[in-house]
Amino acid sequence: MKAYLGIDVGSVSTNLVLIDEQAHIIESYYLRTNGQPILTLQKGLQKMAAKLPMKITVNGAGTTGSGRYLAGIITGADIIKNEITTHAVAASSIVPGTKTVLEIGGQDSKIIILRNGVVSDFAMNTVCAAGTGSFMDQQASRLNIPIEDFGPTALRAKTPVRIAGRCAVFAESDMIHKQQLGYNLPDILAGLCEALVRNYLNNVGKGKEILAPAVFQGGVAANVGMKKAFEKALGIEVNIPEHYNVMGALGAAILAREETIKTGISNFKGFSVANAKYHAGGFECTGCPNMCEVVEIYKSKKVIARWGDRCGKWSNSIAQSEKIS
Amino acid sequence: MKPTVGIPRALLYYEFFPLWNTFLKSLGVSTCVSPCTNKRILANGLKNSVDEACLPIKLAMGHVIELCGKVDYIFLPRIVSVAPREYICPKFLGFPDMVRNAVPNVPKLIDANIDLYHPRSKAQKNLHEIGKLFCSNPMRINRAHKTACQSLISYKKLLQENILPEAAMEIMACKEIVFKNKHSKYDSNGPTIALIGHSYNIYDQHISMDIIGRLKKLGVNVVTAETLPEEIVRQGATILPKKLFWTLGQQSIGSAIHYLSDPAISGIILVSSFGCGPDALTGELIERYIHRTRTIPFLKLTLDEHTGEAGVITRLEAFLDMVYWKAG
Repeated sequence: MKAYLGIDVGSVSTNLVLIDEQAHIIESYYLRTNGQPILTLQKGLQKMAAKLPMKITVNGAGTTGSGRYLAGIITGADIIKNEITTHAVAASSIVPGTKTVLEIGGQDSKIIILRNGVVSDFAMNTVCAAGTGSFMDQQASRLNIPIEDFGPTALRAKTPVRIAGRCAVFAESDMIHKQQLGYNLPDILAGLCEALVRNYLNNVGKGKEILAPAVFQGGVAANVGMKKAFEKALGIEVNIPEHYNVMGALGAAILAREETIKTGISNFKGFSVANAKYHAGGFECTGCPNMCEVVEIYKSKKVIARWGDRCGKWSNSIAQSEKIS
Repeated sequence: MKPTVGIPRALLYYEFFPLWNTFLKSLGVSTCVSPCTNKRILANGLKNSVDEACLPIKLAMGHVIELCGKVDYIFLPRIVSVAPREYICPKFLGFPDMVRNAVPNVPKLIDANIDLYHPRSKAQKNLHEIGKLFCSNPMRINRAHKTACQSLISYKKLLQENILPEAAMEIMACKEIVFKNKHSKYDSNGPTIALIGHSYNIYDQHISMDIIGRLKKLGVNVVTAETLPEEIVRQGATILPKKLFWTLGQQSIGSAIHYLSDPAISGIILVSSFGCGPDALTGELIERYIHRTRTIPFLKLTLDEHTGEAGVITRLEAFLDMVYWKAG
């Protein structure tokens, strides 16, 4: 059986998805990146390889997320796609006719407006990351509740308190004030969900026409409190797909399938890359006052990729030496 | 010894440099332009500016600092207005004073007023004030002014052929026709994208993260407000019920409205810097006009001090996917 691999290396989580030819998910993993994208990716590949039934062959791979180039180099991806396109592709494959995708991840949030199955508009958070997953994570640990209980606790709220959601720092101090005044935890958490939704709709969703069917995905969609707050604010039903937390990877897998059908071959290096020794190094280039921080990816002791230089002096030198060899 | 005047490569440099440069050179002054923005210039600018200044102002501060110690004068005219009944951003007006108070041992500033707000005021008179510093012959200053205006006209013509400012200045410096042919109007068969934003943002390769170069590498043609003749831009801006009195905002709106109705344009990208007051209004107006028509892919990019390019790359890639998708 032919299968396609999708990998989403994000700031908070690294997700892997294996789909069959009908884009059904065979296997999916959601792993915490923990600041070590390469190791986490390899761990995910190892896990998947161990579970993989014998009769399956991987015929294509796609990567997405902020670490997509890194993951693409390591796995030999057939397609490296930005996360907006992959999320849109995945949402419309799960909920045909999707008109709005609400996505909140670890460090970014985005809204994608689809009309007639194609993206017609999108926005991502600009200079502020307030209201994304990592802030909720941080608040949960400050309040000493497991992140999994955040949503269910918020659902128990009777009168959500009003929290200033404009900025994460203000939201935190507002929460502390409310908590010191004696408001109960469910009301504070539900208030936080509402504040974050308000902030999301005012910033990312500003001026966008949000129509049903709407799909809510990304790690934060695990939080039922957020779903409820979205539905309350928008007045429409918000769908959460079964694999809400790996939608980017699913989109990458679907695109990898399309790509390899077009080209007929795959560059996927196989699961063995999980056991190779990769590490990242870097240096500050002193060629000009820009002092670019150049990142180097090593396989064993050989540099296989470089980026981060504005002028292209270092990244191009790799591309050329590869052509020669 | 000829005095040297330093010109910061910032703010209205991309609009007026050929005029300033020709004027000063015709008066027997040598000029020195600060280098292209780099990390050090930006860092110095950030360190020495007030917190609430916008990124372009902070950057201009860095360019001034870069010129300190290398020149006798720094050319920082206080540009109040460049067209009747219109203004340049108020932060630009205060900039010479910010420099004087923030930069120790700053060379002498040439901060004569350039104010054409009143329909009867003349640029010539404003430039005379500057000319008097270096030349006592009013006739010679007049002649310098005329050649300067000529060179601004030829510069604008080059820009309208869709040649980038730095390349256009190079062409003017070496008067090389062969060179000009290398920069043909459209260099790829890909879609054409209108890039709307202030010249000091979109043409500064460092703070714009080389957005023009990136788009070109992705096989896209880029047109800007500068590609259009001024009359067309002004015509576009008449869509507003009331005349906008920010010259730079008017450029953005006028060109965006024009490109919106141009069938050859496949998408519009609006670039603004974080914390820009006038753009908070004009950017919003442009966005609303575009959303009202809903016919063209649109992307808004906000620039600030970040050096991570991933954010810009992701948005550009997604935007182009949208453009190609729409084209089918």
